[in-house]
Amino acid sequence: MAKEEPKYVSEKKINLNITTPRGLKFVEEADMIIMRCIDGDLGVLPGHEPVSTVLGDGILRIINNGNEMKLAVFGGIAVIEDKRVNIFTTIAQRPEEIDRERAEIDRRKVEAMLEESEEHQFHKLQMLLRHSLIRIEVSSHLEESEYLKHNVEDEEE
Amino acid sequence: MSSMRDIKQRIANVSSTKQIIKAMDMIASTKLHKAKAQLEGVRPIYRELKRLVEELGRLEDVQNHVFYQEREIKSSLYIVLTSDQGFSGGYNANIIKKALEHMNQGKNEKILVVGYKGYEYFKKMRKNIIRKVVDVADSQVYYGSESIAKWLLELYLSGEADEVFIAYTHFENVLNHIPYVQKVLPISTDNTDKIYESAMKYEQGLDTFIDHLIPLYLHMKLFRAYSESHTSEQAARMVSMDAAGKNASEMIEDLTRLYNRKRQAAITQELSEIVGSANILNKGGTL
Repeated sequence: MAKEEPKYVSEKKINLNITTPRGLKFVEEADMIIMRCIDGDLGVLPGHEPVSTVLGDGILRIINNGNEMKLAVFGGIAVIEDKRVNIFTTIAQRPEEIDRERAEIDRRKVEAMLEESEEHQFHKLQMLLRHSLIRIEVSSHLEESEYLKHNVEDEEE
Repeated sequence: MSSMRDIKQRIANVSSTKQIIKAMDMIASTKLHKAKAQLEGVRPIYRELKRLVEELGRLEDVQNHVFYQEREIKSSLYIVLTSDQGFSGGYNANIIKKALEHMNQGKNEKILVVGYKGYEYFKKMRKNIIRKVVDVADSQVYYGSESIAKWLLELYLSGEADEVFIAYTHFENVLNHIPYVQKVLPISTDNTDKIYESAMKYEQGLDTFIDHLIPLYLHMKLFRAYSESHTSEQAARMVSMDAAGKNASEMIEDLTRLYNRKRQAAITQELSEIVGSANILNKGGTL
C-alpha cells in the first residue's frame, strides 16, 4: 500500500476483529462477511443493524476488494455493530495455518470409527468429522456440500 | 570452632546447592516467559467477554435468568488455585489465607482445589474438598479448564452449589502478585443502571445467546485465572530463587573468608613455632 490510512477512516468497509484465547488475532477490513451461525449462514454488509449471534462450526468468508478469504471458525460469539464486527471464538484458523495432512488423517480415522461407533459417541465423532472437513475445505476449497452429498448417496445404495 | 576441613566441606555443599538454585531460577524464568505470553493472549478475550456478560446483566429480562439470579445460599463452591510445587516464597500461603478469610464469613463451603500444595493444606484442615486437580501438564490446561467449566455449570444448575467463587493470584508484574477472591456465579448484576430494552437484537433469541455465551465466558474465566496464577507462581519462584542464589553467594563468600583466615592463622602459628625453636637452637640451647 502506497498510502497508509488508519483502519477506521474508510466508511464503506466493515472493521472485523477476531479475538481468540491467543490474543487479538485478526484485524481486517472487509466489504462483506459471511459467517456460519448455529442456524445457518449470516451475511453482513456495512451498516448492518446491531445483532448478536451464536456461531456454529464453519467457514467464515471475508470478501474484500473482490478477494475472498476463508477462515475456519469453530463456535463462538459474534457481535455486529454498524461498521464493526467483533468475533470471539476459541479457534480461528487461516488456510496456511491448517495442517492439511493431519486433517485428512483425522477424517479417515473418524470415518472408520463412525462405522462401529455406539450411540453416545456418535455426536462427538460427527463433530470431529465436521471439524476435519471444514479444515480440509478451507485449506483446499473442496466443497463440503459435495462431499456430504456424495456420502449420502453412498449410504442410500 | 569448626576445623578447616569442615569449612571446606561446607563451601562445597553450598556451591552445589547454588548450582541447583541457579538451574531452578533459569527454569522458572523460561516458564515465566511462556506463561506471560499465554496470559497476554487470553486477557483481551476475557476482558471483552466480561464486558459483554456484564452489559447483558443490566437488561431487565436477563436479571431473572438462572445464571444471573441470586438464590438463597445453602452452599458455596470455592475454586482455589495453588501450585503443585513449593519453592515459591509466600505464593501458596497468601492465596490460601485469602480464600480462608473469605470462607470464614460463615459459608458452607465445598472446595475444588487445584494444585498439590492447596490440596495438602485443606486436607489437613479437614475442609470439604469435593474435587482436586493436580499435576496438570501445561498443554492440558486449556481443555482442562473447558471441562471444569462444564462441570461447574452442571453443579450450579443442579443446585449443589448456589454460588461459586474463585481464588486466584493476579499477576501485576514480576514483583507484584495479588491474591483475589472473585465471584463467578451468579453473575453480579448492576441494579442501579437498568436498561429495559436492548438496542441489540439477538439472532437466535436472547436465551440461546446467553446459553452459548456463558460457557464460553466461564471457560475463558477459568483459563485466564489459571494463567494469572501460573504466571504469578513462576514469577514468585523466580524471585525467591534469585534471593536464595544471592544468599548462597554471600554464604560462600563468608565461608571462604573464614577459611582463608584460618589458613592464615595456621601458617602464622607454624612459622612462629619454627622461628621460636630456631632461636632457641641458635642460643645454644637444646630442645
